[in-house]
Amino acid sequence: MRTKSTRWIPTLILLLGAVYCLVPIIWVVMASTKNGQELFTTFTFAPGSGFLDNLSELSAYRDGVYWRWMLNSALYAGFGALLSAALSGVTGYALAKYRFRGRNALFSILLAGVLMPPITLAIPQYLLMAEAGLADSYWSVLLPSILSPYGIYLARIYAAAAIPDEVVEAARVDGAREFRLFRSVALPMMVPGLVTVFLFQFVAIWNNFLLPYIMLGDDSKFPVTVGLYSLLQQGANAPALYTLVITGALLSIVPLIALFLGLQRYWRIDLLSGAVKS
Amino acid sequence: MAPPQPRPTRRLAPYAFLAPATLLFSLFFALPIGYAIYLSFRAVRVKGLGLGSGARTEIWAGLGNYTSALSDPELLGGAGRTLVYGALLVPAMLGAALFFALLLDTPAIRFGAFSRLAIFLPYAVPGIVASLLWGFLYLPTVSPGYFLLTKAGMEGPDLLSGNGLFVALANIAVWGGTGFNMIVIYTSLRSIPVELYEAARLDGCSELKIALKIKIPMVLPSLVLTFFFSMIATLQVFSEPMTLKPMTNALSSTWSPLMKVYRDAFIQGDIYSAAATSVVIAVATLILSFGFLKLVNKRTDGGS
Amino acid sequence: MNRRALAPAALALTGVLALAACSSSAGSDEPKAATGPVNLTFWSWTPNMDKVVALWNQGHPDIQVSVQKQASGDDLVTKTITAAKAGNAPDLVQAEFQALPTLVSNDVLADISKQAGAVKSQFAAGVWQQVSLGTDAVYAIPQDTAPLALYYRTDMFQQYGLKVPTTWAEFADAARQLKQKDPSKALTTFSANDSGLFAGLAQQAGAKWWTASGETWKVGIDDAATKKVADFWGGLVKEGAVDNQPMYTPAWSKALNDGSQIAWVSAVWAPGVFDSSAPDTKGKWAMAPLPQWNAGETVTGSWGGSTTGVTTGAKKAGHADAAAQFASWLNTDPTAVTALVKEAGIYPAATTAQTGSALAVPPAFFANQADFYPKAAEIAKGTAAAAWGPNVNVAYSTFKDAFGKAAQDKGDFSAALTAMQQATVADLKKNGFKTEG
Repeated sequence: MRTKSTRWIPTLILLLGAVYCLVPIIWVVMASTKNGQELFTTFTFAPGSGFLDNLSELSAYRDGVYWRWMLNSALYAGFGALLSAALSGVTGYALAKYRFRGRNALFSILLAGVLMPPITLAIPQYLLMAEAGLADSYWSVLLPSILSPYGIYLARIYAAAAIPDEVVEAARVDGAREFRLFRSVALPMMVPGLVTVFLFQFVAIWNNFLLPYIMLGDDSKFPVTVGLYSLLQQGANAPALYTLVITGALLSIVPLIALFLGLQRYWRIDLLSGAVKS
Repeated sequence: MAPPQPRPTRRLAPYAFLAPATLLFSLFFALPIGYAIYLSFRAVRVKGLGLGSGARTEIWAGLGNYTSALSDPELLGGAGRTLVYGALLVPAMLGAALFFALLLDTPAIRFGAFSRLAIFLPYAVPGIVASLLWGFLYLPTVSPGYFLLTKAGMEGPDLLSGNGLFVALANIAVWGGTGFNMIVIYTSLRSIPVELYEAARLDGCSELKIALKIKIPMVLPSLVLTFFFSMIATLQVFSEPMTLKPMTNALSSTWSPLMKVYRDAFIQGDIYSAAATSVVIAVATLILSFGFLKLVNKRTDGGS
Repeated sequence: MNRRALAPAALALTGVLALAACSSSAGSDEPKAATGPVNLTFWSWTPNMDKVVALWNQGHPDIQVSVQKQASGDDLVTKTITAAKAGNAPDLVQAEFQALPTLVSNDVLADISKQAGAVKSQFAAGVWQQVSLGTDAVYAIPQDTAPLALYYRTDMFQQYGLKVPTTWAEFADAARQLKQKDPSKALTTFSANDSGLFAGLAQQAGAKWWTASGETWKVGIDDAATKKVADFWGGLVKEGAVDNQPMYTPAWSKALNDGSQIAWVSAVWAPGVFDSSAPDTKGKWAMAPLPQWNAGETVTGSWGGSTTGVTTGAKKAGHADAAAQFASWLNTDPTAVTALVKEAGIYPAATTAQTGSALAVPPAFFANQADFYPKAAEIAKGTAAAAWGPNVNVAYSTFKDAFGKAAQDKGDFSAALTAMQQATVADLKKNGFKTEG
């Protein structure tokens, strides 16, 4: 039997990888503690003395519009990712567990959506949204964010692996209707996979820049990325509010971290736990 | 697998399940893609000095935008630079992602959850901050790395021009993308039934051997998937060079094909040639992805 | 994925084409009469613009303006044009002088000569010419101007025994002397990441980049004056007398702050930039007139400066009068201009404001130079006229690439200038303009 003693070499290598990834983030943390003067003058990784000032200045900026941006981002990313996970779930399940005419064609077309770069789609999407009278509205950012080819792909793979055909058949024999079967048998088995889709999509929408940038004119509807960009670009004569941007950026990562820690419990990627073994 | 005579609801069910995705795809992907293709055949004609209302009219341009896109040396140059960048990035990023995923899957490691989160975290950093951040880390006079190297009496490499630039750009992408791919691979590692390697462990196989002989072959499909998506992302490389662009003279606004699309559409206001260039990029991506998938299918067919 | 899979997609797209082709909107051009309080939207990137607008809203309950703050930059012009195309443009937009022809050409800005022609007398002729594009129309009201000057570190100039240059020849000498005395320092840098500065320097030398005659645009980006400027800086970069790295990077801020660079050719708004980029050097800088090509002259160019325009969308909605009234107030009313100076740190375009009470005290960073603003007003008088055309965006983005490469390689600046000229002319031709040059 294996001993339970810690394997230090893999642990250390992983920690090294963690450090590599964290060093630039530590920079953001340190920079957010500096006031304007310290930012360019003190050693990069030395803490400064201005965090609270930066925070209150950021909160005071345009009557607290920053918090509005955060709330907007939470709305876009929260609803967008939730709908996206639901859509990926139902689509991935259907693609994995039914044989029907046009299955592969449909799957391929959905996936082909990633081939066209988003930059190209932004302006046509805007013009079409405007045609529908939805430009500069919450819908204009939310609706295009729901469909995620990557999410559908992951959900399909996950459904294929996590839902044994026997379970589906058994439920059918019991007379379960197809939608009920999906909702009460398949969906619970797919939860960890859908949590992954939710997280990926949440981050993707939270950090999306170009779509909201082109769609929105009213800065009270901006998500935090576009808002911070407007703080950074105030014209050559008005220097960028670096300290506010950095502090704002740091705070904008916090909800993402909280989300990851919070969902850690549901995010047990162990496919076979609880499922019927084949 | 399916019984011979399924009930009618069962035959219709998948279509009902797929209806929402199909609808959203049509509205927010197919329609704009179609519109973009339409725009790629259009152009603007100006009357007189082009000032005042009605001075600009949209006309049919035929293949004009395509011929000028394909004959633009900058597009080809951008494609070349993208290939060099991809050749650095994809193996490094996926190698690291696979390596970390295997380590995470090793029994009895500590701080696994912490490392997993830490490695994933850069994925969450918004692009506009990344630009500031890497400016501070790459520019010799403000970088702590160069500071330490100078203290140690060494000269730092020039990361913001020449070949160093490729390394600098690839590093940003490795930093930002390893965590994402690691989690995809780790997900499929966790789906391998434990029994498969319990036996091998009992036989005294080392973890290394288990990884090489059992785990890697088992996660091959997800490696193919991550490679596939990384390849597409590489062909569409945009945010990393845009991040570093303000810091250096060495990055032109047409450094990568997609940067050229951005410049044409958003800076020079020529959505028509931008649309044509994107169609060219999309077709090239499509051909490469088909080629890749064919190759993979041939390999797996021959292997099994 | 397989090939057959794409056939339905292609079919779907064909349907879309037909749909998109007939989707252009047919809006009514008839202005509606406005009734009740008018609500106007205003896209601006000026910091604290909302505070200035609040003053207007207090006094004008019937015309309420709401600021929608935008990020400034080249892509904002595209965003505005796209919004206008879709019929979603705001009523008022802030626009830089050089963007006006592009915006007018894309039918974004309305002619407000009827409503606002009266304020013409409050602006310098060269400034007004830029908002009228040399016609009888008025496409925007000037907000701020940005005459160029030379900023230098008084203490460092003394330490190295440098004379404040009054001509470009003296400027080059000062750069060489400094390099000789301390190779770790540079007088300044030639930055290729902002085209506006180079355009201003070319204006000073007498360049006319775009001129219209009849139905034809003449592009003179590679004219003798601009060539002189390009070769001058190219020479300094090549011999290593000035640095070649871009401005507005953390490294540049550090160089200004720790005295590695001791002069900066910049506009009148520079104090705000020093304040955030080189906070340790407070009180150590001074402003001098821009060095001249011929001794004794007092010519300068501009770097930036912006205007307030009324959109064609506002005109269609019957809001043109209200919007023009606001735009005139914002840029000429003493209360408004004072607030703009105080809250947003701009240098007002209205001539009365340049010598008015708003600019009585120097910027805090230049407390040592009590006559900062009178001096600036003196410099501003010599501002050379600017000549903008309908594709400044193309010329500017080509500048960044061509001069960026030339500066990096310490190579041929006049070849870069030729590239800029050719790209600009080619773009005009492609869009069907008649061109010459």
